[in-house]
Amino acid sequence: MADNKEIETTGHKWDDEEGYPLTEYNNPLPKWWLYSYYATIIFAVVYWVLYPAWPTPNGFTKGILGWTQYGQLKEEMEEGQKARKVFEEKLSSLTSQEISQDSQLLQFAISGGKTIFGDNCAPCHGNSGIGSKVGGFPTLVDDDWLFGGTLENITTTIKYGRKGQMPAHLEANGGSFSQAQVSDLTQYALSLSGRASDNAAVTRGDELYHGEASCNSCHGDHGKGSLIGKADGEPIDNSIGAPNLSDAIWLYGSDPATVEASIAKGRTGEMPSWAEDSDRAGRKLNDLAIKQVSIYVHSLGGGQ
Amino acid sequence: MSEESKAIQTYDYGVVKLFSIAAIAYAVVGLLVGVILALELTFPELNGNIPYLSFGRLRPLHTSAVIFAFGGSVLFATSYYVVQRTSQARLFSDFLSKFTFWGWNLIVVSVVITYPLGLTQGKEYAEMIWPIDVFIVLVWVAYFVNFVGTLAKRKEPHIYVANWFFLSFIIVVAMLHIVNNLAIPVNFTDSYPIFSGVQDAMIQWWYAHNAVGFFLTSGFLGIMYYFVPKQAERPVYSYRLSIVHFWSLCFLYIWAGPHHLHYTALPDWASTLGATFSIMLLLPSWGGMINGIMTLSGAWHKLRTDPILRFFIISLSFYGMSTFEGPMMSIKSVNALSHYTDWTVGHVHSGALGWVAMVSFAALYHMIPRLWGTTIHSVKLINLHFWLSTIGVVIYIVAMWIAGIMQGLMWRAYDQYGNLTYSFAETVEAMHPYYLIRTIGGLVFLVGALIMVYNIWMTIANADKRATASV
Repeated sequence: MADNKEIETTGHKWDDEEGYPLTEYNNPLPKWWLYSYYATIIFAVVYWVLYPAWPTPNGFTKGILGWTQYGQLKEEMEEGQKARKVFEEKLSSLTSQEISQDSQLLQFAISGGKTIFGDNCAPCHGNSGIGSKVGGFPTLVDDDWLFGGTLENITTTIKYGRKGQMPAHLEANGGSFSQAQVSDLTQYALSLSGRASDNAAVTRGDELYHGEASCNSCHGDHGKGSLIGKADGEPIDNSIGAPNLSDAIWLYGSDPATVEASIAKGRTGEMPSWAEDSDRAGRKLNDLAIKQVSIYVHSLGGGQ
Repeated sequence: MSEESKAIQTYDYGVVKLFSIAAIAYAVVGLLVGVILALELTFPELNGNIPYLSFGRLRPLHTSAVIFAFGGSVLFATSYYVVQRTSQARLFSDFLSKFTFWGWNLIVVSVVITYPLGLTQGKEYAEMIWPIDVFIVLVWVAYFVNFVGTLAKRKEPHIYVANWFFLSFIIVVAMLHIVNNLAIPVNFTDSYPIFSGVQDAMIQWWYAHNAVGFFLTSGFLGIMYYFVPKQAERPVYSYRLSIVHFWSLCFLYIWAGPHHLHYTALPDWASTLGATFSIMLLLPSWGGMINGIMTLSGAWHKLRTDPILRFFIISLSFYGMSTFEGPMMSIKSVNALSHYTDWTVGHVHSGALGWVAMVSFAALYHMIPRLWGTTIHSVKLINLHFWLSTIGVVIYIVAMWIAGIMQGLMWRAYDQYGNLTYSFAETVEAMHPYYLIRTIGGLVFLVGALIMVYNIWMTIANADKRATASV
């Protein structure tokens, strides 16, 4: 380089093979750089004076602010607790009925319940309770309930859990019916929501449903499910959880193949128990949390 | 005989060539695994329920592939190249040179086999099981002897600044690796660390942070100090600054590890020291950036025509940005927001892609034609690679800033009743679009690297032809 001012470099030279050796200017440290460097050192020293910083033979320097991370945690937790405390006290002492009449308390319970739901229930029931057909996790945002949609029903479900058991019907799966009979039952089940494709099979399936297979003992004479299955719309047994087959809501899917699989192989659904005294392993919820999450779930689509 | 061809006979360029090619191959592999992981994070079902492809096993493969396989090979290649040329001496031992090459690659292969099988120590960036760790020590000692031996027989009176940085990198990495991997083996694949609890965590992050400091910073500053002045054909801006920032960097970096453990079981005082030493580290880090960028003063016009120089300057800019961001994130109150979010991931990649990968690409583009005594196949393709890399990094880090800061804010949001506003799953859902954008950024960066593969391939394949033509 013609404009290399030799005089300003350190005079050292390396790697001259290509006609432009490595050389070094010896410019002074940039002032802004040096003063900024000093400023960070001053910042550090001030920090050391204010906060716990240097180990000593007997412990460490505590800092004049008296700050500790556990102190900060406690303070921040207390701030939230203070805001919640008034509501929580009322919430624990009042019945669900009383709570639903106090709109502010209701809002509080829903706001807390929503997060509790998100961190505990959403993995199966989906964010905001939309459910999932994969695995048969019921949607909670409609008015169709397996075990009852009143606040009390929902609380019971969450506290003690539920088991839904659909037996297998196909011989090969331990049932007592042939493939043809399972197909007939499938056609009858589909006919309850007006989707059958083979009328003769529906007639045969009807006979099995009310006869040998006794599906009606759980699902009701008209397939309305265990919750409203009696002729007068009363429950057959609200602890069975046999779904309503006559509507458009399906737990595992509505297509004929899925319905047939449910009949042939059976289904087992389980809602775990969340009460603190449950002997289930894993995370549980205290009564207050269960109350809040029940109110939240009820607000999604309950009201039965 | 020209000077160039005489040099090719005197120096051991064979090992430099091998490491350069390995570096390029590992860059593609490491970046590809990164893109696959980004896709898995965006669409988790993509792992196909195959354990070997699960995020937990592929992630350490990605980090090791980019840091140790790619970054390590670049450091071997450039340090062997630089130490020879600035010492006017052939590498100390041909045997040790070969041993470090084949040894290092054996380590990479054993990592590629063990990680997907789930064989790991469970220490971040130090997942290798103990037999691999022992072998690393052997290779590293060979590297040290080979490097120092070459310096010892140098024909130049002074040791060039790039070599200080390389040497500090080699020495400190040896110390970090050995201490963090002290363990009692129980069989061929398993061992227990000799430290436990928070002390083990502290040693681990002392190691990991200084792997960033000495592997990914010191080593690559060594690259910068040789290749930037060479490419710009300008003297280094300030010898004095290089001395001051070198020693400041070495002294301060080693303390900064605890900032990875704010608000944990780590004692408050250790946490404070980690934060304050990180703050004091800002200007010493910037010393390298200033010395690199200011070397161009008086030659700025070269940026218009030289895409390699452009690569260097942008990489130094990313270096400056991430070494500013790092100290900010080490302050406890900022860390309370940023920690455990994707902000950290964005920060790491602005350093890893923006600084480390881009300075490496530039050095390879400078070095490879000289190794093979030829000229680059296409300057235009270097320029295209430059733009794809820059755009890819920017897309990546902006997506992670948004995703990370958003998640941090969502985690701590309280409503008027004192209840948490969001559940964890809601924060994950909110980040989904940014994960997709990040994947695109990574993909763009990978495409750039593939263009480099083509360009380098054509350069080497046609080296003889071009040399003949120019005679």
